[in-house]
Amino acid sequence: MSTFGYHRDLISHLVRRDLTLRYHGSAIGILWSLAIPVAQLVVLVFLFQKVIPLGIEFYPGFLFSALLPWVWFTSCLGSAGGLFVNNRALLWQTSFSPFVLVLVNILANLVLFLMLLPLLFLLLLAHGTPVTTAWMMVPGLIAIEGLMLFGLSLLVATLNVFYRDVQQVVNLGVFLLFYLTPVFYRVDALPETYRALYALNPLGALIESYRMTIFYGQSPHLWPVVVAATFAVLAAGLGVAVYRYRLHDVMDVV
Amino acid sequence: MSHVLIAESVWKQFRLHRDRPHTLQEALVRRMTGRWESPESFWALRDVSVTAREGQCVGLIGHNGAGKSTLLRLLCGIGRPTRGAIARRGRVSGLLDLGRGFHPDLTGRENLLTGGILAGLTRRQVTEREQEMIAFAELEDFIDQPVRTYSTGMYLRLAFAAATHCDADVLVIDEALAVGDARFREKCLARLRAFRDAGKALVLATHDEGQVRALCDDVIVLDEGQLVMIGAPDAALERYRLLLEERTERRAAELAGGAPLVEPVEGEGKRTGTREAVIAAVRLLNASDREVEALVCGERMTIQLDYGLAAKVTDVIVGVGLYSEGDVKCFETLVQSARVAFGPLGERGRFRCELGPLHLLPGRYYVNVALYAPGWTHIYDSHWHMHSLMVLDGGGPLDGRSGVVALRADWSNEK
Repeated sequence: MSTFGYHRDLISHLVRRDLTLRYHGSAIGILWSLAIPVAQLVVLVFLFQKVIPLGIEFYPGFLFSALLPWVWFTSCLGSAGGLFVNNRALLWQTSFSPFVLVLVNILANLVLFLMLLPLLFLLLLAHGTPVTTAWMMVPGLIAIEGLMLFGLSLLVATLNVFYRDVQQVVNLGVFLLFYLTPVFYRVDALPETYRALYALNPLGALIESYRMTIFYGQSPHLWPVVVAATFAVLAAGLGVAVYRYRLHDVMDVV
Repeated sequence: MSHVLIAESVWKQFRLHRDRPHTLQEALVRRMTGRWESPESFWALRDVSVTAREGQCVGLIGHNGAGKSTLLRLLCGIGRPTRGAIARRGRVSGLLDLGRGFHPDLTGRENLLTGGILAGLTRRQVTEREQEMIAFAELEDFIDQPVRTYSTGMYLRLAFAAATHCDADVLVIDEALAVGDARFREKCLARLRAFRDAGKALVLATHDEGQVRALCDDVIVLDEGQLVMIGAPDAALERYRLLLEERTERRAAELAGGAPLVEPVEGEGKRTGTREAVIAAVRLLNASDREVEALVCGERMTIQLDYGLAAKVTDVIVGVGLYSEGDVKCFETLVQSARVAFGPLGERGRFRCELGPLHLLPGRYYVNVALYAPGWTHIYDSHWHMHSLMVLDGGGPLDGRSGVVALRADWSNEK
């Protein structure tokens, strides 16, 4: 069998295994993965429509179209640190390449993302938002986010083997990033000076592009996509470089 | 026959774990207080070369910490040598670090599937072989239970079945056959022999002399990361025993500042060891638990060892052997870990070994007993030819029988 065929089979098996294990022994199984984002959605909608109204039209759709890529991002990075540390059994198999675990984690979380997508479609259709050709850009945005996640996860998974703080720092960063990324608010409501700063947040740029295509039904602006894609390429390059440089140490320490 | 595995002048260096900062804080504190010494490191392997040909079984013996596991890991391609090179042809399957290979929450069947796919089989190939693997492991009733509910023996059976049913060209096994019951061990040995006879290569690390003799064509002796010799099983085992004694000597010198290690005892006996654990008394008991020096052929015998342990010693390997006057080993039994077998050990205590009816021919024998440090690193206390045992004629017709074992030998003649 070719290396490609081998890795395709291996990754698809491990993704399935990952999803099985995640909800092992629970009654509703994989449905739990839908429960948390939906609960988050409900709470935020209540908060920013009733408690502190932001005055955004069709707020649930506005929020959900950004929450989905955000949840994919956080769930991948939140578990990246443990990928090498907690999978010694797999790392100790002959001819197993550890980076496979990073791909598996990203893909398993992507499956959950894709399971929530129809829910978003239904929400938008129910509200009468027109389906436009702009939606065809979504796979491209997913690819950019996937590349970004691959680089960052590889970096976190590798470094966390040597310093366990890495995951803690990442968790803190992700927590803060939720407020610094326009997930539940919009940037154009902010003063000009802040907006310039926001333009440099690659995740923010990416999430704005998702919202532009899914919620507003328009092609995303070029500039945010370029920022996000450039960052994704740099992150992937850095992740791969660090991984390759430290891999044999990882195998000795784990 | 061509080589499937070549390790050439392999060196492997590890940084010592206790010197490695685990958190950024530790790393920063060290850097700022100037205590940033280069981390202490040690060479786990020094210039070790190994080859394995098709149809060859290479044994690997050495005390714990000699570098066996490190070498096996590198042969499997887990990590890379600091210096030197390893070339593999074909697929290598490893049975290393037993107890970690499977996911505890998944069933035996699910774990077999993962293992098979990792080994390069397709999903369908695994399903086709599944029945065979389950039957080999004798786990038909448990295969759909999570692996965490398995006993050590069941776990071993599953791991062994998985590793030997995936079309590997080279099989690397680390101590795996030390557990499991005798019958299954035989089955494994038979499978390994078939594997070897089919032109596959085997690399096997073990403490078990029997396995070395039964399976290995060539044996490598490792000591403190260096290759001491490659040779036939008997020569290698002899060398390994000498190394054990040397290490014991060094250890005794460290402990007592050069106290006599080999204590002269009366007759041809010899007492060796560091005495961190001591055999205080050896008693031979008959069927009614009375201490005796002689037994009648066929009578039941129990050997009783009174021991004392130094405070640091928490585990010992216990060995009891029966040797004829001509130094033929008639029988030997080992407890690889007294702690595992009997639970935490007291400072003093007594091991009893009931041997049942003693089917030895009349004559003089020696009961040799020993306590070894875990991992066979050195000898605590060995009594060699210090305790003799007379086996007496039970009064039956013994004419014309000779050898060691007392079998019945009822002759008849059919016309």
